[in-house]
Order: sequence, then C-alpha cells, then structure tokens
Amino acid sequence: MAGHTPTKLTVNGEEYEVRIGLRDTLADTLREKLGLTGTKTICNEGECGSCTVLIDGKPVLSCLTLAIECEGKDILTIEGLAEPVTGELHPIQKAFLERSGMQCGMCTPGMILTAKALLDDNPSPNEDEVREALAGNICRCGNYKRITECVLAAASMIQGGA
Amino acid sequence: MPEEFSIIGKRLPRKDGLEKVKGEARYTSDIQLPRMLHTRFLRSPHAHARIVRIDASQAEKLPGVMAVLTYKNTPKVHPRGYGKTEKFEYLLDETVHFAGEEVAAVAALSKEIAEEALKLIDVEYKVLPAVFDKEEAMKPDAPLVHPELGSNLYECPRCENGMLPVEHGDVEKGFAEADHIIEGTYESPWQHPVSPEPRAVVCQWTGDRLTCWASTQVPQRVGENLAYCLGITLSNIRVISTYSVGCYGAKRPGKTVVLAALLAKRTGRPVRAVFTRAEDFIATHIRNDAKVYARVGVKRDGSITALYSRMISNYGRDSYTGYLGPAYGAIDTCSALYRCPNTRYEGYFVITNTEDHGAMNGFGDPQAGFCIERLMDEAAETLGMDPVEFRLKNCARYGDKGMSLYPAVYGPVEWGVMGPDIDGFQECIRKVAEQARWKEKWQGWKTPLEVKGAKRRGIGAAIGMHTCMAQPLDSATVKMNQDGTADVFSSDPEIGQGLITAMAQVVAEALGIGYEDINVILADTRVTPYGAGVFGSRGTLAGIGAAYRAAQDARKKLCDIAAGMLGVGPEALEVKERRIYIRGNPEHGITVAEACLAGYQVVGNAVLPYPWIDEPTGKKIVPVSVAATIAEVEVDTETGEMNVLKMTSAHDCGRAINPQIVENQIDMSLTMANGWVRAESFIIDKHTGVVLNPNLLDYKVMTFLDMPKMADMQEIFVEYPNPWGPFGAKGMSETAMTSPAPALANAVYNAIGVRIRGDHLTPEGILEALGKLTRR
Repeated sequence: MAGHTPTKLTVNGEEYEVRIGLRDTLADTLREKLGLTGTKTICNEGECGSCTVLIDGKPVLSCLTLAIECEGKDILTIEGLAEPVTGELHPIQKAFLERSGMQCGMCTPGMILTAKALLDDNPSPNEDEVREALAGNICRCGNYKRITECVLAAASMIQGGA
Repeated sequence: MPEEFSIIGKRLPRKDGLEKVKGEARYTSDIQLPRMLHTRFLRSPHAHARIVRIDASQAEKLPGVMAVLTYKNTPKVHPRGYGKTEKFEYLLDETVHFAGEEVAAVAALSKEIAEEALKLIDVEYKVLPAVFDKEEAMKPDAPLVHPELGSNLYECPRCENGMLPVEHGDVEKGFAEADHIIEGTYESPWQHPVSPEPRAVVCQWTGDRLTCWASTQVPQRVGENLAYCLGITLSNIRVISTYSVGCYGAKRPGKTVVLAALLAKRTGRPVRAVFTRAEDFIATHIRNDAKVYARVGVKRDGSITALYSRMISNYGRDSYTGYLGPAYGAIDTCSALYRCPNTRYEGYFVITNTEDHGAMNGFGDPQAGFCIERLMDEAAETLGMDPVEFRLKNCARYGDKGMSLYPAVYGPVEWGVMGPDIDGFQECIRKVAEQARWKEKWQGWKTPLEVKGAKRRGIGAAIGMHTCMAQPLDSATVKMNQDGTADVFSSDPEIGQGLITAMAQVVAEALGIGYEDINVILADTRVTPYGAGVFGSRGTLAGIGAAYRAAQDARKKLCDIAAGMLGVGPEALEVKERRIYIRGNPEHGITVAEACLAGYQVVGNAVLPYPWIDEPTGKKIVPVSVAATIAEVEVDTETGEMNVLKMTSAHDCGRAINPQIVENQIDMSLTMANGWVRAESFIIDKHTGVVLNPNLLDYKVMTFLDMPKMADMQEIFVEYPNPWGPFGAKGMSETAMTSPAPALANAVYNAIGVRIRGDHLTPEGILEALGKLTRR
C-alpha cells in the first residue's frame, strides 16, 4: 500500500518484515498484520494496560506506541513468553493457570507481561509492590486479589528455582 | 453426611486457562478472514432529531468504501430484544432518539477508510425537544421520546397508567399494625458494564447461509434476531460464540449484528464490526438508575408488618430486556428479600432520550437493594436493634412468598414460594458476622468504630437476593467418544464466569470419568442444542443442570451396554474412575471406553424439567440465591474521601463446584459494586444529553489500589444444596452484586453519623451529606 514503509520488527525473537504506515500503532500491527492477537486492546487509548508488551524488557502500552519506532528493538508479547523450545510455561503463566488468575481473560496478557517486568526488576516483591506495579492494569472482572496472589506465587516459584 | 466427590469441589485449573495465559484464546475482535471488511458507524450528535436529509454519495465514492447503509436502504424492521419482544428502535431510523445512535454504517477495506467516509456523509438534522431525567420525563408537558406511545411511561401488559403494581396482602392493614413507620427516598446510580471487549461481531455469507461470530452471552437469541430481521430461517444461520468477554449483561449485539450481516450480504465479503471504547460507552446499554421511595412498618419485637416501595427507573430510549427489564429483580428485593406478609411494589419505567437500559450484573436487585437495605438499616436503628440481628430475624425463609417474575409483568400475578435451600440465608448472615467479628466491633448505633481527628471508621451490614434461574428452560448433549472421553454441547457461552470448567467438573463426576476427559464445545447454534444463554445467573441451574442430566442419560446408556456385556442388571452397576463394574466387586467390570466402543455412538440428551413444585404447598418454587456482606470503611470528614478497609461477604451457592471460580465471582461483584457507588459516574450533559465521560480516564472503574488488600477481602461459602441443582449447586454470581453497595453505605453512616440517601458514596456525596458542600 502507498505510504507504507517496509520495516523489520523483532517480535518474540523472530524477525518479521512488515509494511507499516506511519500512524500504525504497535498494537494494531501485532494484531492485524502479524496475527499476534494475544495482545489485547480493551480501551485502545492508553487507559487500561491490556495492550502491555515488553520492549527491551520494559513494559510499554502498545496502543500508544508507533510500530515504526520499534525497528531494531526487542518486542516480547504474550505469545513469546513460554519457553520457545520446550513450550514450558513461564512461572507467572503457571501461577495464573493453577490458581485461576483470570475470568474473561482479556486483561490477562497485559497483567502477565506487566508482572514479568516487575519480577525481572524485583524478584521478591511484597503485596504492596505488586499492587503498585499493576495499578495501571484494569481488570473489570475485579480479580485484583487473585491476580496479586498469582504474582506472589510466581515470585516464590521463581525464587524456588521452579 | 458429606458426599464423597472426586471432582466436584476441587480447585481445578480452568478449562480455558491454558489458552488464556498463552494469549491463544480467540475472541471475536481477534477474528480475521480473507477479504474481510471493516465497519464504522456514523452516530447522531443530537439526543433527539429527525433526519431531514442524508446524502452518502460522496462517502460511497471514496476509494476503498464498499457499502454504506442509511435508513433509506435498510429494511424497516425492529430488532428483537429479550425473547421475542420487539424493540422500539429500527435498524436505522429517520428519527434518532439519543446522542450516539447509529445514523449510517460504512464497510470499507480498512477502519481508517471507513472512518474517513463517515466525514463525507452529509446529514441535516431537525433537532427535536429531548428529555434525559426520569422525573422530568414523567411530567405531563415533557417532550415525548416516542410520540407514537403517547407517553414516556412504558406500558407493560400488567401496567396501570404506566405503573406496574405487585401486591401481596394488605399494606394499609400492615402499616396500621406497625409500632413504627420508617420511610425515605433513596437513589441508585447508572452504571456502564464496560465490557473489556467492546461490542464485536463478524459476519460472513456462504451462498444463502450466514455465519456470525459474536461476543455474546445469548447466541441463540442473536440467531433468532438475525432470522427475524433478515427474513431467513434459523437453519441458514450459524452463530458462534467465541470466548465472550466479561458480558456483565452487556453482550446482546441487537442491531449491530444485523447491520454487519447486511453489509456482508451487500458486499459479498466478510465484515467485522468492533466498537471503539467510546462507542461502547455511549451506544450499547447501561444499568438503569433508580429512585425508590420506600416505607416500612415494624413492630417493637423487630418484625416487619408492611413494606411499600415506589420505584422509578430511567429506561433510556428503549430496553433490550423489554417489559421485564426494570421490574426484574427489583420486585424480588422489594417484595421478598424480607419476610413480610404485606408488600406493595409500584414500578414506573420511564423512557428518556438516553442510552438504552439493559441488564447488568444483578439486573434490578442491586438498584432496589441499595435503596431497601439503607431503609432497613434505618428501621433497625429506630428499633434500637443490632442491624445484623434485625436481618437474621427478618430475612426470607423456606416457604415464604417468592415472586414469579414473568407473571408479575405479563400477569396475572402468581406467588410462588422460596425453596428449602433459602434456609442458607441465616447461615450467610451468621458466618459473615462471625468472620467480620461483628459482635466485637459493633458498638451500637451512633457509635463509630474509631474516631481519629477528621478520620472516622465505620462498619455496616447488608443482605441481598437474586434469581439464580432466569428463563428456566435449557438443554444439553453429552457425546461419548470411543476412547471413553466426552464432548459436552451447550448453548450457554463461556463469558469468563467459569461455566465450561464447572460444567466439565459436573459432567465428569456424573459420568465417573476424569476432568481431563471432558471437552466442552463453545456455544455454536449450528451444533449446540437450544438454550437461552447466560444471564440472570442461570448458567449453573439451567446450563450445567441440563448438562448434568444429559450426562446421567449417557451414563444410563453406558450402563445398559455394560449390563449386557457383564450379564447383570444395570442397577447392579457402579461407574467410577473410568470403569463400569458390579457394585462391591470392582474387578468384575469393563472400562467406560469399552462400553463406548460397544455402543458405537453413545449420546446423552436432556431438556431441563420445569417448573419445580414445592410438594408441601403445591406451589412453584422461585429459585433464588442469597448473600450477606459486611464492610468496614474509613472516611475523611474533611475531604470526603473514603477508604474501604475490609469487605467480608458470604454466599450460598448450594455447592461450590470449583471454589476458586466462586471466589473469583464474589470478588468480581465486590469490586464492581465498589466501583458502582464509589467512583463510576456516568455523566450526561443536562442540556444536550451527550455522554461527557466515555473513556476509562473519566469513567473510573476500580483498580488494584482502590480495593482492600488480600487479607481484607474475605469470601465465605455457605452450601445449602439446591434440590434441583447439579450436585446441589446453584448460580450465585449476580447475587454477589446485591449486598456490597448498601453495606458500604451503612458503614459510612456508622462512621459519619449522617445517612446518605443519594446515589453515590463519592467524596462529593459524603461532603454533601456532612453539609460541607452544596451541589449546583
């Protein structure tokens, strides 16, 4: 399409060559062009945290990020979180699975990735630190208690070397 | 004696859990089809206007635009709402009745092109007088929203001059017998469901057949609506409910799905229509606000002699839920939450130029409960009675009158009875009081828990009730595979509530096979048998109840096969751990897989039997579930800010099929109820009717930091088995929405010593009550 620039994006360790419009957001590009629909857009205007992905390890709202700016950066989405070769779930995913850390599941990918950024930075957070770190992620199903429990359980799992 | 279960009652991982943690679960807005077009809607900026002229020719010429629909080229039909009730609205209308109503629909190669095309549609409106406030709309000289109705009051079949009366006993006599009469006018606010996935549908035609993927809780109803509006048969329509996201009552994509189907038909290409967050806010439907004048008569011994309530609900432009909507649930709370021989409910359903009213998590009961439960607190205070004791004494019990909702609206009124399982009510109240250490903390009326400078702490209690069986009929099929595993077919979708997980647990338990052996087919009208969908907390009793009976049917067939092979009667057989064997002789048997293989194709079917009759009285049982909540708050009397310290909530779910899921459902409503009265304010411009805050920055839902910490959110189960429920289970999710808000209000009163009868416990609401703020 006219006005679309061929761009190389590295997502989940894989390189994609994709034609991107100047105003295309990363969220739309991931979802519509790369078929990575695990990234959700509850509000699509930076208010809910559901579209969180990690760019060079830092949590970023992909709905407010232009895809064209992401060239050369390392993008991690929910689809890339499990161990790539064995498929083993990340401890945060395991905790959410074992403890029913989700209901409708729409906020789950953003919650899990935001939690990953937290645990990468602070491997043994207390409850307040988890709540603070996830405060920008809205769960309309109201499962803040359970999600906090899951993130703390994941931290213990990681600490325990599981 | 507790029954031994191997699968029921276990905290098993959700069936949809793995997909959801891996980002693989597919939702409607994730669907992409080859050649798929995108849709945008032109919406009315006016709350009430007639379209004098509309010209879409420039939009149609824009490259990439494939079709434009306006009222001129769209069939003039009313989409169907609840059941077979027609709505007032047309698919696209010459007159628009609220700001945000669809005026045109564009399908284009991209959503950006479609958006661009909207700007090229030339519309001239003649603005008409509009009314937004329910009481304004009741005045004789108010502008009429639907002039053809001759009034802004909705006339349901049993209404008398726009008022629905539901009476039991003689309230005048009841008030004459009372020692005290307490009365007040209370309000409860609007609430938007804010479903995490905005309204989403995808439509694709193959020849004459339509496939529709929809984020919906009522796929069969979506199919019926499509059949009616498009004039085609159900056999030509397939509605697939993907994982439908947090519906909370909102996922009934009435006309959107028909417009998408028409665009797809016209263009010969698949069409996806996904609302933006703002569109979802302004043009789906909301929990109606309500104003309740209520009067209660009590005797010195604490018993209730009469309860009169007059409830005025803002109905919006129309209701998805037809006549039942505003009445539903509210009648229960106003008539039957408390045992009282004389009750009279009067409901007014007022049509205004605002967004449609519809079901939302609780559907009437939370609105009524937020009002009635504040009144009852005042009654307990007048009597000088402990508010928990007052509720223990007066809460509904087995054999008390229960409201059969359909006759209440369609008539004649038919009073049923509460079933034996409602006797869990007192246990709910006792347990919540015990867990919240009520006796230790409650210091009596007008005594806050603690006063520290401007900060005051208070504690409050409330109870609630809601149907757990809206629309009783349902069906299910259990298809055995030849390896002894099973597929379960039900038209009740997974919307996040955990239905497919609980259904799999129940079917596995009933069949004597493993949880991992069960696959639940997501609702798909081409393959899943008829069922009304999930609303009114019906999933457990109706959907899972039907699946349970279908599993029993399959089990019976498997036993018949095994009996022939083992040379015994089927009644001698036991099925457990994937084996069918002679009871008391586990070695003598076959595997379930062997029976499946021998039967070639074993299928169990069930249609849920209804109604349920109470044998002693011969009356219909009204299935409800009940709950009680105690809240502790801290209020800053200088700023009006409220901090919720602790929420303790007890729920009778009959039996917790999966405790993790029940806890999640309780937490959802605790959180949503906090948002409803503490922060979520749906603001409509008083002059234009335009929604001023259609986004998540200005419409504030609860976040992690707004809710109490883990140890201060306590969920308690009470398990009084429901005689008809699968293993005694019954729905509890919407009931969970009824008691938290009034418990908060009653706690605020205990803290500050002033009753708030208005709609919000926001800082403004609290400062206003304290006389420190006057609202314009």
